Amino acid sequence: MEQPLIEITPAAQQKLLQLLAEKKQDLLGLLMGIKGRGPAGFEYVMRFVSAADKPEDAVALTAGGLNVFIERQHADSLKGARVDFSPMRGGFSIDNPNPAWAWDDPVAQAVQDVLSGQINPAIAAHGGWVQLLAVAEQVAYIELGGGCVGCGLVDVTLKQGIEVAIKEAVPQIQAVVDRTDHASGTNPYFQPDKADPHHQPSKGGPAPQSPFG
Amino acid sequence: MPAPRANGPIPRILLLMATHSYRAGAFLEAATRLGLQVAVGSEETHALTHLNPAGHLEVDFHDLEGATDRIVEFAADHPLDAIVATEDEGVVLASMASEALKLTHSPLVGVKAARDKYQTRRALAAAGMRTPEFRRFSLDDDPEQAARGVGYPCVVKPLALAASRGVMRADDPEEFVSAFERLRALLRSLDAGDGLPAQATGSQILAESFIPGFEVAVEGLLGAGDLTVLAIFDKPDPLDGPFFEETIYVTPSRQPAAIQDEIVQTTRQAVSALGLTEGPVHAELRVNDQGAWILEVAPRSIGGYCSRALRFGSDTSLEELILQQALGLTLTSTLPATPASGVMMIPIPRAGILCEVRGMREANQVPGVEEIRMAIPVGQPVVPIPEGSQYLGFIFARGDDPAGVEAALRRAYGRLEFIIEPPEGESSLQAGMVHG
Repeated sequence: MEQPLIEITPAAQQKLLQLLAEKKQDLLGLLMGIKGRGPAGFEYVMRFVSAADKPEDAVALTAGGLNVFIERQHADSLKGARVDFSPMRGGFSIDNPNPAWAWDDPVAQAVQDVLSGQINPAIAAHGGWVQLLAVAEQVAYIELGGGCVGCGLVDVTLKQGIEVAIKEAVPQIQAVVDRTDHASGTNPYFQPDKADPHHQPSKGGPAPQSPFG
Repeated sequence: MPAPRANGPIPRILLLMATHSYRAGAFLEAATRLGLQVAVGSEETHALTHLNPAGHLEVDFHDLEGATDRIVEFAADHPLDAIVATEDEGVVLASMASEALKLTHSPLVGVKAARDKYQTRRALAAAGMRTPEFRRFSLDDDPEQAARGVGYPCVVKPLALAASRGVMRADDPEEFVSAFERLRALLRSLDAGDGLPAQATGSQILAESFIPGFEVAVEGLLGAGDLTVLAIFDKPDPLDGPFFEETIYVTPSRQPAAIQDEIVQTTRQAVSALGLTEGPVHAELRVNDQGAWILEVAPRSIGGYCSRALRFGSDTSLEELILQQALGLTLTSTLPATPASGVMMIPIPRAGILCEVRGMREANQVPGVEEIRMAIPVGQPVVPIPEGSQYLGFIFARGDDPAGVEAALRRAYGRLEFIIEPPEGESSLQAGMVHG
């Protein structure tokens, strides 16, 4: 018998069905996908969708009477993942055997290695991180997170640090483009024109959130 | 004649910028476009310094001797061709370190005078320029006694803060005492570590007679003492107090040619009186039937994100011109790229937490509007002037004429709505002290 794409444990099924019933809306089931990659690996999307919201090409499965839809572009990265629910462990958890930082393209993988090995460990001290979105035509597209978002010196981080390190290690890369929405930063490490030397940003990445928070 | 290059064909420039800079992106982009090697000097060690030691330098803007030594030491390993401060904090250090390294820069004495509003007033008065009556007080002075020593209406202001922070009008002794005490509280809160580090000019207050009239700003570039005027901005909103929050800047000026000439000549005289000779200058003036009056001449370019309102030639930024001038390169073009342009600094209406910005898409759709850039992320505290130093954001517009640009800015602003919730359990003044 073929293994389902992902496993939803009975505890998770029960909780999800309960939450779905509480919504009292005409909802079809659960949509799962990958929002991005943070310091701890994959960051997931989990939300209930109606028939109108469900992506047409989503991979559909059922788990204990719950409809589950997997975003097609993230199906490979979610293959074999196990969704569990335990109040003792803080709610929902996803155990995913797939490496968050694996790329088929060797150039992208080389960029990823720079980010994982040199950049992220360093900027973690400022509560920041960077993820690679894509590599195309000698350009690395990245997104910054945490304390880097909205930081006054993020361009210094990008131009004087990230870009220099990537270009040195991966000569095929000619430019690094930041695709971050910096206006959405909630905890920039250095906020423009907020001259507060005692500013203490929170350390590490964002607080874990319930997918239904 | 340009000085010989320290780095052969690819010059290296040291950019001094505060960690709270608005200008990092614009200057680094300009350096990239010009193909320069860049080092960034800032007051904290950058997290990625170890990956690019030639690109980072930690300097304390308030330990001028120590920071100059650091720069000289750095330059021994990584020779510098120019030092440019991106905003106020670094201008004195840039001058001092440039003198130590024999790099072209405005003299230290002039830069220091321009950074201190009292010294500016003295220099302009000594040069016989039109100057309001002015008097300096210590924060420890008795405000009621001080109130008897000035004429009315007057303006109370700090000696060194920018963006109209701490500037208040007083029409009588009672208002003077109130403004004095409010400014004293602000400066002491900054001195206590809730903002700018302590500085000598932070212990004094300037009071000067209020000059009626309209206000303009001049953006210029000095080379060997010769001022090239890059833009004259009209400020169409009246700035009569009680506070002096900037809003709309539009260029070119719609003032008659004779008045624009007077504005330029007055700026030239002020620059000369202060002894500034090199680099960007941003001057603020008031104009009335007596003529043009200098409010201040800052030895730096326009602040915030406002420089994005200026493009020259085919597509040259103000920062590119500043770097070209600093390196003795030929300026690409000083002609405006479009017939008219402008920026609106979005004021902070009240203290609180910025919870939501509505109408962004509608505002962006206003014809002529190029960009709306928020400066404060949602969820952050906001503090209005006089205690605050930020704007909510900036609206940029371009068009065929200044009136159209101004109208576009106002229309876009009218479509925006800012949801600001009061901070729990705090009065607005307390919020200003905590977050300003």
